[in-house]
Amino acid sequence: MVITLKLALRNIFRNSRRTWLTVGLIACGLATLMFTDAMVKGISQAMVQIATGTFLGEAQVHRTGFRENNDVDLFLPDTEELLQSLRELPTVKVAAPRILAGAMLASAQNVAGAMVYGIDPGAEAALGKIKQAMVQGEYLSGLLETEILLGDQLADLLEVEMGDRVVVTVSQSNGGELAQELFRVSGIFRFNDRMLDQNLAFINLSSGQRMLAIDNGVHEIALGFTQQKNTIFPWQQFNHDQLETLSWRELIPQLSGVLNMSDISALIVAGILFVLVSLGLINSMFMSIYERQYEFGVLLALGTRRSQLFCQILWEGFFLGILSALAGVVLGGGLSYWKAVTGIDYGNLEMSGVTLQEPIYLVLSWQQFTLMPLIIIVMTVTACIYPALHAARLVPTDAMRKTL
Amino acid sequence: MQEQSTVFEIQHLNRYFGSGEIQVKALDDINLTIERGEFTAIVGPSGSGKSTLLQLMGGLDSPSAGDIILDGKSIAHMSGKELSDFRRDHIGFIFQAYNLIPVLSAEENIEYIMLLQGVPEQERKQRVQAILQQVGLQGFAERRPAQLSGGQQQRVAVARAMVSRPSIILADEPTANLDSHTGAALLDMMKTLNEQENMTFVFSTHDPKIMERADRLIRLVDGKVAEDIRRAA
Repeated sequence: MVITLKLALRNIFRNSRRTWLTVGLIACGLATLMFTDAMVKGISQAMVQIATGTFLGEAQVHRTGFRENNDVDLFLPDTEELLQSLRELPTVKVAAPRILAGAMLASAQNVAGAMVYGIDPGAEAALGKIKQAMVQGEYLSGLLETEILLGDQLADLLEVEMGDRVVVTVSQSNGGELAQELFRVSGIFRFNDRMLDQNLAFINLSSGQRMLAIDNGVHEIALGFTQQKNTIFPWQQFNHDQLETLSWRELIPQLSGVLNMSDISALIVAGILFVLVSLGLINSMFMSIYERQYEFGVLLALGTRRSQLFCQILWEGFFLGILSALAGVVLGGGLSYWKAVTGIDYGNLEMSGVTLQEPIYLVLSWQQFTLMPLIIIVMTVTACIYPALHAARLVPTDAMRKTL
Repeated sequence: MQEQSTVFEIQHLNRYFGSGEIQVKALDDINLTIERGEFTAIVGPSGSGKSTLLQLMGGLDSPSAGDIILDGKSIAHMSGKELSDFRRDHIGFIFQAYNLIPVLSAEENIEYIMLLQGVPEQERKQRVQAILQQVGLQGFAERRPAQLSGGQQQRVAVARAMVSRPSIILADEPTANLDSHTGAALLDMMKTLNEQENMTFVFSTHDPKIMERADRLIRLVDGKVAEDIRRAA
């Protein structure tokens, strides 16, 4: 055993250039794998944060059936008790009640359709980024019945500026009577998301409830959790035939699908990398074995068992794997850490309806530093099985044709 | 007086290569016995079957027919593992090109077979030091083969072959790669070890000096024993 280890260790440094090239190949493969995984995690996290943190929330409560066609009649009446019980949950950071209705907005110059949200300014400020998205004017104060916030593209469409008048027309609940109210533009926001900036307008919750004639009813309660991951929300406690509580995965299934696809893509990339690196390694090991064929013949002639020769080649693979894993962790970990700190700017790239407004910060995980190097070592040893079998099956007389 | 007992018994040994019309009879019905302590030279022209005979005696190849019996055990039908153990425990090889393991020092090369045999470390070290002294390589223990001359490398090879105390040492043209002076010195050393340790040597050789010093000369021609001469010690 000791002599087998000694031979394996010394043999891998016999042709140090080839060894370091092989180590480089495997290390680059591992580094790519670590970087890709960190990037996929970073993009996923950013997309979820952007999607949920902008306005959506991490979960929403609706009257059952409301989401199918945004029917204003399907509101949650008397939500004080519900809001109270939601806010008392330790997993819930904020619960923001909303009304929403499809509306016609008319200015002195133009007319446009939009989705009008009646919101609780305090709760929304804690939940999303409407307040941070303000580019002109002020966020809703909650004090003035006539204040309205418009997306900058909607404001352009209506050709309005701060203080201009906008008439909002909605269809009321219980009969669909049209209701109109005059608002004054108190602020303009920009989420850097075309869909939001062109189609949303925010008014105070009480104004919306009055316009839609739904008293204290709300259409939606958006929830922000204390932590994004691993939140166990007691869905069963709230869901019944009149109420549905949905997580962001169900609210934006296309994003959830993309994230699942990202995980699968990362696995496919990993698989391809493993195959390529394994082929390179097998090639390198075969070159090394062919060069030493004569020597293996001598070892067999001296009484070395085939199993010992087989193990020697596997140990060589193991040491190569250890070296490669160390180099890969340093390279991949270093690169990933660098981009985890500085981020990668995607310049407002839109993916699956989510605009990546801020740099993507790579996410490091313990698997990248433990599981992946371990997989690389196992892969290296596995890739050496075929060359090792070849060496172990050598016939001494064939291997040493020169003399004995 | 040296002990005389049969080490090798070769019975109707045949080795053919190829088949049909292109079949080559490398060895054709060889019958030999090698006695313990003999210093035997197998000679003959190229292609006469010297190396093939050594390969078969060393368990590196299997005969087409016939049997080889070493210390009462037939090696013709041994499994791969049995053959490995047989070579490790009973045969010492000396090759024309020395064939030391380049990544091991002289000491480690000599120790290699004893490690395979599981000889305890203390005994290994003692035997290595003793054999290094016998072959005149004290002070060279830590050197790798590339740091030794051809003669020194072949001395290490002789030490490696002898240190595990095999039943027989098979040497294929051991002096062919050495100059005449170094070759003669090596031959003297092997002859001395043969006489002192009663070690059995079988050489395949073209070297007239080995032929002169051998106490038995087996001449092969076309795979057959043409001549088998025993000289008085």
